[in-house]
Amino acid sequence: MSLGTFLKSTIDGANALRTGFGITFRHYAEQQLKTKPVDTIQYPEERREQYPRTRWRHVLTRYDNGLEKCIGCSLCAGACPARCIYVQAAENTDEQRFSPGERYAAKYEINMLRCIFCGFCQDACPTGAIVLRKDFELSDYTREDFLYTKEMFLEAAPMETMIPASTIGAMNRENAAK
Amino acid sequence: MSDHRLTQTEASLNVTGADLVNIKVNGIAVKVPKGENVIEAAKRAGVDIPYFCYHPRLSKGDAANCRMCLVEVAMPRKNPDGTEVIAKMPKPQTGCTLPAAEGMEIQTETPAIARDRKGVLEFLLINHPLDCPVCDRGGECPLQNNTLFYGPETSRYIEEKRHFPKAYPLSEQVVFDRERCIHCARCTRFTEDISGDAQLGFLKRGADLEVGTYAQTSFKSKFSGNVIELCPVGALLSRTYRFKARPWDLHTQKSICSQCSNGCNIKVDYRLNSLQRINARLNEEVNEEWTCDRGKFGHEYVNSPNRLTKPLIKKDGEFVPVEWSEAYRLLAAKLKEANGNVGGIGGYRNTNEDLFVFQKFFREVLKSNHLDSRIGRYGDSITKPLFERFGYYTMGNAISELETMKTIFVLGASLADEQPILFLRVRKAWRFKGASVIHANTFDTVDTTKVSDFAAANLIYKPGTEITLLYGLLNLLLVDNTNSIEITPQMTSLMKAAGEYPLEKVAEITGLDPKEILKTAKLMATSPTAFIVGDTVTESPDYLAIMQALGDIAVATGNEKNINVPVREVNSQGALELGILPDFAPGFVSVSDPGANTHQMLTSAANGTLPMLWVLGAKLAEKYPDRELVQAALSTAFVVVSELEMTETAQYADLILPAASFAEKDGTFTNCEGRVQRIYKAFDILGDVKPDWLIFTEIASQMGTNFPYFSARDITLDLSKSVPSFTGITPKSLGDSGIRLRN
Repeated sequence: MSLGTFLKSTIDGANALRTGFGITFRHYAEQQLKTKPVDTIQYPEERREQYPRTRWRHVLTRYDNGLEKCIGCSLCAGACPARCIYVQAAENTDEQRFSPGERYAAKYEINMLRCIFCGFCQDACPTGAIVLRKDFELSDYTREDFLYTKEMFLEAAPMETMIPASTIGAMNRENAAK
Repeated sequence: MSDHRLTQTEASLNVTGADLVNIKVNGIAVKVPKGENVIEAAKRAGVDIPYFCYHPRLSKGDAANCRMCLVEVAMPRKNPDGTEVIAKMPKPQTGCTLPAAEGMEIQTETPAIARDRKGVLEFLLINHPLDCPVCDRGGECPLQNNTLFYGPETSRYIEEKRHFPKAYPLSEQVVFDRERCIHCARCTRFTEDISGDAQLGFLKRGADLEVGTYAQTSFKSKFSGNVIELCPVGALLSRTYRFKARPWDLHTQKSICSQCSNGCNIKVDYRLNSLQRINARLNEEVNEEWTCDRGKFGHEYVNSPNRLTKPLIKKDGEFVPVEWSEAYRLLAAKLKEANGNVGGIGGYRNTNEDLFVFQKFFREVLKSNHLDSRIGRYGDSITKPLFERFGYYTMGNAISELETMKTIFVLGASLADEQPILFLRVRKAWRFKGASVIHANTFDTVDTTKVSDFAAANLIYKPGTEITLLYGLLNLLLVDNTNSIEITPQMTSLMKAAGEYPLEKVAEITGLDPKEILKTAKLMATSPTAFIVGDTVTESPDYLAIMQALGDIAVATGNEKNINVPVREVNSQGALELGILPDFAPGFVSVSDPGANTHQMLTSAANGTLPMLWVLGAKLAEKYPDRELVQAALSTAFVVVSELEMTETAQYADLILPAASFAEKDGTFTNCEGRVQRIYKAFDILGDVKPDWLIFTEIASQMGTNFPYFSARDITLDLSKSVPSFTGITPKSLGDSGIRLRN
């Protein structure tokens, strides 16, 4: 190998290193100085905003007065193409009232392994009780844990104490919520 | 669409007389019986006309109050000049009241009719609450369906709807939602026409019209469950099924009701291994489309929390659950020890398949003829008098034949209680076919559903005077010959017996009005007359003599084939046919060495000569008349009990084998008229429960005999080969309506 060739290859190598590290350093600097937008986010510390119509984990919502919207009509189960919803209804009494009207869901179970998140249940629901929201973190360790129950779906009740709905007419409902 | 039909009736129900007329339905030419209403006539042309209030089994004249079945009609008319034109009627007509006539042209799908239907539905929905999501009828509701097919998109009615309290409890079984009622009058007509208790009626008028009972008393009827199925909206609903499931949650399986021997065809609706409700299934020969309340609401035991799920062995007075292998080991050891000295009692609630293997196991493996399915007081003699004299057992008539009778003599029966479907037929014969009904019993029930309500003659005689009454009637028929019956030589001997019972004497002994007896005798001379005999007679110590007297009357009036002594439990008849009898093998073939009957078995078990008893679902401790004998027998012998639940009898057992209920196994039942009908397994067997035939097959193989049965179907096929009376009865040939064994 001649001296000229040796020098040339050394310089080429150094150039290549400089180019490569240059990119690294440039990105490092950009990231540190936040001069350019970044696509990578630091999950789980950071979370990306979801699209407004994203359909993930189901939630059973409540009225403002704390009563469940779900009336246990099982229309969601009828609409479900994966047949993964099980609803067992029961009758409200004045002492124990869960929803307005006669009927409420005593059991509400969804097999989340079967669910295909199509949102048909949300479409079918006559009271808007079941909605698919943005919680997508649904991993778990055993299959049994994917049988979500009503307690898991139900929205947290507001802080007010429950008022028997028999006493709540259409007019009082707004007052009760305040 | 056929699934959503309001009634289960098919067009074939209607009599196709010789008198046919040509009509056109939507341009389709079709021949229909003259006078048939247009709804049925259109069905023959394959055209469905929507309706709510019409029901072919209810009286028709009262209908036409829902206005849903409007059609446009044109009739041929002769002009004054002699030319014939098809003239359209200016207004739409109700299809349910319009009889078909020659040349009639019906249009059901014109724009005008579509508009009329929209109007009718909008009108019906003015006050009907739209709470379909919480209504039990939602999903199988005629109003919902018709609104979807023919109704308006929206309503113009924005005012407040009519409001009533929800879920008014009409009775133990039925709740009523007055808001939902569309006043079709089906329920009121049902109680008037079919069940006959006339408990429901319309109260008030106009917009306030509502269905109710008189003075808000409870809706007492033995057939109240039918109005739930009849109601075309969710106004009348079942209390037991309330909010349990929606129609799309349910699976349906065909079955036979297990509550009595009538063998009603039913649909078992189940969800996740649990029975939710019972609906009637159409069988023109048996129950038409009705059920009784006992059948409709009495099947809770299938999913009772008390169901046995494991074999139990009694150790030191305590029941210990064990595996089947251990139970079989003990059972085999005990059976060997008993060495053929084993008695088998019961089986009247088991399928034919269970019973066939039961008797096969006893006769072939254990070499024992100690078998009996009858646990009544005089159960032993039930079959004898009829068979020895007339050559048939229990029922001479088919259930549907009762309709054709001119007179029906109900003797000693609370018919609506004992044989609810026979009661409905008897009532139908009276209400729609003009039959006269005679009711004779020692008492009259205070129930609302009873024969005496419509009986032409009502004989409440003093207890124990049946023979006097019957011979008194025979005396009137033959000796006095009030109806001028032709006296044949064989009747002269009957006359001798009857001659000792002149009317005055009979009236005095029985405590009856002589006029009433005379009236009865007059009615009985008409032929055909059917006799239905019930509990008061079968439980009487004079049973044989009464049957002799009744037989004499039947002979005198020429009704030898019309005596009916229906059995009571679901497969009592099958148990007789399949030889769960000490003296007959299957098919009433006499055996050479008859075994002991129930009473003899219990007696010898009590004194220790019969060391082992196998009780197959028989409620001995609860039902057997001699309670002390049962207690002594069951506590002395080694007792095996096959049961669904821990009954009082099972408490005495040394070994309890948990059995499958009718909803958990395949098989066939034989009803009181001898009709073999299939049941199908609806859902999976609970716990470690086995069908009884499998238990017998398995224990037989433990004892060294292998029965070639792997399913109930194998046994049904074997039955058709090895029992003469079951020839030709295969799972396939039975179909949906079953086959009646020849008597």
